[in-house]
Amino acid sequence: MAQPLVKKDDDRDDEAEYSPFMGIEKGAVLQEARVFNDPQLDARRCSQVITKLLYLLNQGETFTKTEATEVFFAVTKLFQSKDMGLRRMVYLMIKEISPSADEVIIVTSSLMKDMNSKIDMYRANAIRVLCRITDGTLLAQIERYLKQAIVDKNPIVASAALVSGIHLLQTNPEIVKRWSNEVQESVQSRAAFVQFHALGLLHQIRQNDRLAVSKLVSSLTRGAVRSPLAQCLLIRYTSQVICESGNNTQSGDRPFYDFLESCLRHKSEMVIFEAARAITELNGVTSRELNPAITVLQLFLSSSKPVLRFAAVRTLNKVAMIHPTSVTNCNIDMESLISDQNRSIATLAITTLLKTGNESSVDRLMKQITNFMSDIADEFKIVVVEAIRSLCQKFPLKYRSLMNFLSNILREEGGFEYKKAIVDSIVILIREIPDAKETGLLHLCEFIEDCEFTYLSTQILHFLGIEGPKTSDPSKYIRFIYNRVHLENATVRAGAVSTLAKFGAAVDELKPRIFVLLRRCLFDSDDEVRDRATLYLNTLGGDGSVVETDKAVKDFLFGPFDIPLVNLETGLKNYEPSEEAFDIDSVPKEVKSQPLAEKKASGKKPTGLGAPPSGPPSTADAYQRALSSIPEFANFGNLFKSSAPVELTEAETEYAVNVVKHIFDRHVVFQYNCTNTIPEQLLEHVIVIVDNSEADEFSEAFSKPLKSLPYDSPGQIFVAFEKPEGVPTLGKFSNVLKFIVREVDPTTGEAEDDGVEDEYQLEDLEIVSADYTLKVGVSNFRNAWESMGPDFERVDEYGLGPRESLAEAVNTVINLLGLQPCEGTEVVPPNSRSHTCLLSGVFIGNIKVLVRLSFGLDGPKDVAMKLTVRSEDETVSDAIHEIVASG
Amino acid sequence: MILAVLFANAEGNILIERFHGVPAEERLHWRSFLVKLGADNLRGVKNEELLVACHKSVYIVYTVLGDVSIYVVGKDAYDELALSEVIFTITSAVKDVCGKPPTERRFLDKYGRICLCLDEIVWKGYLENTEKDRIKRLIRLKPPTEF
Repeated sequence: MAQPLVKKDDDRDDEAEYSPFMGIEKGAVLQEARVFNDPQLDARRCSQVITKLLYLLNQGETFTKTEATEVFFAVTKLFQSKDMGLRRMVYLMIKEISPSADEVIIVTSSLMKDMNSKIDMYRANAIRVLCRITDGTLLAQIERYLKQAIVDKNPIVASAALVSGIHLLQTNPEIVKRWSNEVQESVQSRAAFVQFHALGLLHQIRQNDRLAVSKLVSSLTRGAVRSPLAQCLLIRYTSQVICESGNNTQSGDRPFYDFLESCLRHKSEMVIFEAARAITELNGVTSRELNPAITVLQLFLSSSKPVLRFAAVRTLNKVAMIHPTSVTNCNIDMESLISDQNRSIATLAITTLLKTGNESSVDRLMKQITNFMSDIADEFKIVVVEAIRSLCQKFPLKYRSLMNFLSNILREEGGFEYKKAIVDSIVILIREIPDAKETGLLHLCEFIEDCEFTYLSTQILHFLGIEGPKTSDPSKYIRFIYNRVHLENATVRAGAVSTLAKFGAAVDELKPRIFVLLRRCLFDSDDEVRDRATLYLNTLGGDGSVVETDKAVKDFLFGPFDIPLVNLETGLKNYEPSEEAFDIDSVPKEVKSQPLAEKKASGKKPTGLGAPPSGPPSTADAYQRALSSIPEFANFGNLFKSSAPVELTEAETEYAVNVVKHIFDRHVVFQYNCTNTIPEQLLEHVIVIVDNSEADEFSEAFSKPLKSLPYDSPGQIFVAFEKPEGVPTLGKFSNVLKFIVREVDPTTGEAEDDGVEDEYQLEDLEIVSADYTLKVGVSNFRNAWESMGPDFERVDEYGLGPRESLAEAVNTVINLLGLQPCEGTEVVPPNSRSHTCLLSGVFIGNIKVLVRLSFGLDGPKDVAMKLTVRSEDETVSDAIHEIVASG
Repeated sequence: MILAVLFANAEGNILIERFHGVPAEERLHWRSFLVKLGADNLRGVKNEELLVACHKSVYIVYTVLGDVSIYVVGKDAYDELALSEVIFTITSAVKDVCGKPPTERRFLDKYGRICLCLDEIVWKGYLENTEKDRIKRLIRLKPPTEF
C-alpha cells in the first residue's frame, strides 16, 4: 500500500496523523464487510473489518435496520472459520449488533453447537452470546446446558453461566430461580471468581427470603471466602441481616459484629473499608463498636492512594453528622487533607472538620479555609459555604469571624450560584443571630456597591427595606441604597426607590430627607422608576414633614400582597377598558387547590433570600385580616394562633375538607376549607354541623355557611365557639358536612334546577394543649433563662412509663407542649441514657415560657422526666405542668 | 452497576464508550461531563494515578494512561473502591496489549484487542474478570493457565 514513509523514531504528531481509522466511512466499511462472504476466508482481513465496525459503533455511529441485518448475516458466515482470534471477534460482534428476535434463529444453531463443543472457551463464549440475544422460549431449551455449565469444572465456563444468570434474572426470574441448587454448589467453588459471581446470584435469587439469606450469611461467615470482592458482598449481606434482626439487647452483643470487626484486619483494603463502612452504618451503633472502624478509616486518611483517602473521608463525613465526637480524633489527619491535590477530598475534609470542630477551633479552621477557597471550583465552594452556615448556627457566639469570612469571600470572584449561597447564608445568620444583624447588613450594603447580578441586588434591597429601619441607626444605609439609583439598571433602580420609601415610611425622622431623594427619582429615564417615586411621594404624607405614616398607607404599600397573582392576572385579562376603573377588591382571594406535590414543595423550610419569611408570619397576617373582615369575628380581639390545616377527609375523596383552628382569647374559630372535586356537581348552602358533646366547655357562637361550592373552586365555612377566657380548654368535636347537590351537565356547565339534600361525614377534630402555645425560639437559652428569673419557676418529676426509646419520649413531650426546641436539643444521641431538652415559646395571653426537660432511663425502657418551667406568670407555669400531667 | 466506561484522547475526543443502563438521551451529557472533568483535573497527572469524584450517588474514578484518559462511572455496589479495581484491571490490560502506556496511534492500532479485553472485564455493567494474564489468554480463546 502507498503509505508515506514514516521515520522509526517518529514523533507523536506524525503518529496521530496516520490513525488507522483516518477517513473511515460507514459505507466503505459496509462494502468491505463483503469479505465475510468469500469462499476462502482471510481471517486477518475479516478481523480488521470487524475492528473497523466496532470503532464505528463505539463512535456513536448507528446502523439502519437493513445495514445491521446485512452485517449480522455476513458475520454468521464467519463461524466456518477455525481461526480462534477471528471467532472471538465474531462473538463480540454479534453481541454488539444485538440482532432482532426474528434474526436470532440464524445464529442459534451455530451457538448451540459451540455451547456443546469440547473446546471450553467456545462453550463459555457461546453461553455469554446466547444469553445476551436470547428470549424466554429459547432459554427454556438451553436451560439444561446452562445448569450444567454453572457446575462446570472450568471456572471460565461456570463464571460465564453465572453472570448470564445474573442478567437473565431481570427478564426471566422464574427460570433462573430453578438453578439455586447448582448456584449453591458453585458458591463453594475453589475458583475465587466463580465464588464471587455465585454469591451475587444466589443472594439475588433468595433476597426476599430473610431466613435463607440469614443462613447463607451464617454459613459463609464461618468459612473462608476466597475473593476479596466476594468478601465485600458478604459484608454487605451481613449488615443487611444485622439491620433486619435488630439489636440483641439481652446480652448487649450484636450478632455478626465480631465478623465485621475481624474483617477490619483483612489483607485487602477493599474488605477493610467495606467492613468499616458497614460498622459505621449500623443502627444505633455504640462508640465501643464504632472505635475500631474509625481507627482504620483514620489510617486510610494518610494513605498514598487517593481513592482510599476519598473513601475514608467520605465515610467519616457521614459519621460526623451523627457522631461528631467519635470523629474528633481524626481531625489532625483531616486538616492535612485540606491541601490535598484532589479537591473532592479536600472539600470533604473541610466540611467534616466544620462538623466536628469545637468552638475553640473555629478561628484556626477559618484561617486554613481562606487559603483553600481560592483554588477550588464554585460547586465545592457552595458546599463549604453551607457548612459554615450550619457551624455559625451551632456556635452563634462565633458569628463575628464566620460573618467576616463570608463577607471576604463575597468580595472575591464567583458565579451567581456561589454568590447567592453566600448572600443566603448571611441573610439566615442575620435572621437567627440578632447581634449579627448590623454587621451583616453592612456587608450586604458593601456587596451591592459592586454586584453584577441584578437578582441579588434587588433581593438585598428588599431585605434592607425590611430589616434596615429596625436598626439603631437606619440613616447609614441610605447612602448605599441611593447610590443604586445613579449607578444601576432600571430594575435595580426601581428596587432602590421602593426600599428608600420603606425607610421613609418606617422612620419618621428620615422622611424629609427621603422625600428629597425620591423627588430626584421623578426624572429617571425609566417609567417604572418614575411611577414608583410618584406613588410613594403621593401616598406617604404629601410634603414630607416629620409625621407618622398612616398605618393603612403602610399596609397598602408594603403589606404582604394577599391576592394570588394567578387570580389577579385573570382579573386583569377579563377587565374591559371603560370609564370604570379596575377594582382590585373584585379579585377573589381564594387560592385554587394545589396538587399534592406542590403542597409538599411549598412546605419546605424557608431559606435565605429566595424565600423571605413569607411563610408563617404572613400566613398569620393573612388569617388575621381574613377573619377581621368578617363582621361577626371583628370583636374577638387579636388572633393568638392559627394551626396548620388538619385534613378531615382522606386523599382523593369526593369532597376535600381541611380545617384550620384559629385561637383567640375567648373564642375558637374553625375555618373549614372545602373543595368539591366532582365536575358533575354543584353544592349549595354548604354548612358544617359541629357536635361539641365531648367539648362541653365550648358553646357555639356563630356559623358562616357557604352559599355555593362549584367544582374545583375552594370555599370556606367558619364556625366559632366561645370558651373560658385565657384558659387552655380542651375538647373533641365531630363534624358533618351538609349541603344541597345540583347535577351539572359537564358539556354546557349548566346546573339542573332541582337539588337534593345530602350530607358527608368528616373526621373528628380536637383542640389540644399545643393549640395554646406558640413556637417562638430564643437565640441564647441560658441568657433567656437567667433573665426570666426563678420567681415563677415550677419543678416536678414525672414517670413516663415504658417507652420505645428516649428519643421517642422526648419527641412526644415536645409535640404535647407545642413549644420550640432550642439549640438543637430535640436530637437525642443514639444509645444515650439521659438527655436534656430546652424549649421556648409563648402561652395564650402572650406570656413567655421557657422549659427545661431532663430525661433519664429508669430501668431498661422506663423513662423518667424532670420538668422545670419558668414563665412570666405563675398560672402559666402551673398550666404547663397541668398539660404534662394530663397528657 | 458499572454505568459507563469511556476512553478519550488528549483533545477530549471519544475513542471508546460503553454505557450500561444509561438512557440514550443522557449519554451525551455524561460524555461531555466526563471530558470536562478530565480537562479540568488530569493535566500534569502521572500515568495511572487515580482521581475520584462523586455526584449524588454516582461515583467516578478516572486516570490517564499515555495519551489516553480513562473514566469509569458506577453506582450502588460499584463505589470508588470497586471502581478503582475495575480501572486497575482496565489499565493493566491496555498496557499489556500495547506493551507500554499507549500513544493514541498505538491505542488505535490495538483497538480490536482492547475492545475484546473490555468485553472480558465488564459485562453489561458487571465486573467479570480482574486478572490480566487470564484476560490476555481469554481474548485469544485460550483457557486460563491456572486451570
